Amino acid sequence: MRTRARVFAVIAAFAAATILVSAQTPSKAPRTPWGAPDLQGLWDTNTLVPLERNPQYGNRAQMTEDEHARALAELQQRNQRPGRDSREVAGKSGVGTEKDVARAYNEFWFGDKPTKLSYRTSMIIDPANGRMPPSTPEATKRIADKREFLAALLQGTSGGRPGPISPRRKESSPDYNLDRINRADGPEDRGGPERCLGDNLPVTMGTGTFGGVMQVVQAPDSVSVYYDVGQGQGFAWVIPITNRPHLPKNIQLYRGDAVGHWDGDTLVVDVTNFSDETNFRGSRQNLHLIQRFRRLDANTLQVEFTAEDSTTWTRPWTAVQELERADDKTTVVLEGGCHEGNYGLMGMLLNTRAAEKAFAEGKGPDPATQDNATGGGDN
Amino acid sequence: MRILSAAGLAFVLAFALTTTHTDGQATRPARIDGKPNLNGVWQAMNTANWDLLAHDVKPAVAQPGVYANHPVLAAPVVALGSVGIVPPGPGVVEGNEIPYTPEAAAKKRENAEHWLDRDPEVRCYMPGTPRAMYMPYPFQITQSGSKMQMVFAYANASRTIYLQQAPEPPADMWMGHSVGRWEGNTLVVDVANFNDRTWLSRAGDFHSDALKVVERFTPITADALHYEVTLTDPNVYTRPWKMSMVLYRRLENDAMLMDFRCIELVEETFLGHLRKNPLVKHYEGDTIILDVTRRVPEGDKRYER
Repeated sequence: MRTRARVFAVIAAFAAATILVSAQTPSKAPRTPWGAPDLQGLWDTNTLVPLERNPQYGNRAQMTEDEHARALAELQQRNQRPGRDSREVAGKSGVGTEKDVARAYNEFWFGDKPTKLSYRTSMIIDPANGRMPPSTPEATKRIADKREFLAALLQGTSGGRPGPISPRRKESSPDYNLDRINRADGPEDRGGPERCLGDNLPVTMGTGTFGGVMQVVQAPDSVSVYYDVGQGQGFAWVIPITNRPHLPKNIQLYRGDAVGHWDGDTLVVDVTNFSDETNFRGSRQNLHLIQRFRRLDANTLQVEFTAEDSTTWTRPWTAVQELERADDKTTVVLEGGCHEGNYGLMGMLLNTRAAEKAFAEGKGPDPATQDNATGGGDN
Repeated sequence: MRILSAAGLAFVLAFALTTTHTDGQATRPARIDGKPNLNGVWQAMNTANWDLLAHDVKPAVAQPGVYANHPVLAAPVVALGSVGIVPPGPGVVEGNEIPYTPEAAAKKRENAEHWLDRDPEVRCYMPGTPRAMYMPYPFQITQSGSKMQMVFAYANASRTIYLQQAPEPPADMWMGHSVGRWEGNTLVVDVANFNDRTWLSRAGDFHSDALKVVERFTPITADALHYEVTLTDPNVYTRPWKMSMVLYRRLENDAMLMDFRCIELVEETFLGHLRKNPLVKHYEGDTIILDVTRRVPEGDKRYER
């Protein structure tokens, strides 16, 4: 968890030091005692780069000085705006509204707004337009089918389209459900994060308190990554340095089968054998990830992934992030205890059973007519 | 030009001298950065996770049988036959005694009776330290000069052992906060900042959040570690006590950790009664009323095979 006491002056000094070090020892990444590039440390980011590029930049991967100055000014202006604690909805006081009540976290948890803006116009560097490639017809249909199922479950509620309660409420989800759906017949109806199945590969580190920290411990035969991300959904990921073949195709692992090797100074990790219990932007068990980790200098770790899934995207795509070295003294990774503390999942099922009982006894509305999926959050 | 430190140079030489390839597997140098090389996949081979003390073979879940001292398998595991039993073991505790206070001894007995409802392992919770070390599943050590990361197959649990610059932990932890140092060839790890939620075995052995653990890992060979643990907890034990065992390196070419995800697999156990249409038909509240019909198919009856 990022220590909240970080101040801008420190960041500025840190950035200055980075430039100084870079100037003194160009392209000299630290090495381990056994001569490998040293990827170790705590890595996070306070630099804003969107995954997909704003179309205004076209095929340009970098902003000009002018564009950067303007965008940074906009970012700083945006940071001045009151946050969620203002409890404003569309310029009016939102105190006591459904949105206000459903809100789980106040401004404290969403602090540490991004203060820096990269010159990169997007994390995606391939395709050249910096945007995700089009979905295949198969994936488009799969995603539309799921969206229609979600809409059917909301039909006739305050958050859904008009109409009678849909008979589809009796159907199973067309995919292994990880979305927030308007039903709680059993644990499988709750979203992935609510069941503590929230975080999966690849991880892009975000800015802000919830942005996360990545810890790397390295040895000649393995690189052990700990992603402290999400709300207690952190996880350990051991990358073996090996030339063994991937596991048999019928083995489907939540975080896939990782096989790592060094290509010069870059750690290349090939990950296959994913399961349908994860969803990376529409890609499920057919995801193939190639991750690359490279230490650029004393304070920068470059993390790149290429995602490939011919059942989901019309072509592979690649995104890159430069992570900043965090201070060991002020930054601590905490174990993810989401499942251990997950009383919420039980509560949601209990609540729904109680509402059904009340309805049956004529003491409350039919739970199927209530919207329990779109409240809260930012939607 | 990169300048190798003396230690680095020594390492590279050691690596070059001792590394050979057999069956595609690289053999490790015995030492790394001047310290015993603990990198790799390890596993305990004992029955400590079932019961730390010497124990006979017994049902995992028991009910009284014909003879008072010969319980038989009870409903949750009755169809499992010999798969539903606790394997016997000589125990791992020095003196074969855990020095519980009288109150704590009573709670341990009660825990053992209510094992299925109380053991955090059954719920797929993080196992804590030292239990993670002797669960019957592999774990992987990644060893560097400043930190050692241990990742356990079971439940994707992990712990970081700080060898330098240990931060102050801001909260208590299931796996505790580990600070290590080398004493000659022995890795000594002080573990504290526990919560009071983890257990030490399926036999109901427990601790409070005052638990302090000292672990000593000493190589016996390149592929075996003597593992000794001292546990101190004045809330629960009358004196510090010790357990010891051997941890073995998994030598298979494909020794690895695979996802051992139990989160969604325990949902039926703990949330099944909250389904709109429960899969087990007889719940009273969260009590499962087992009315087990288990037909043995034609041709599979014992006398037919």
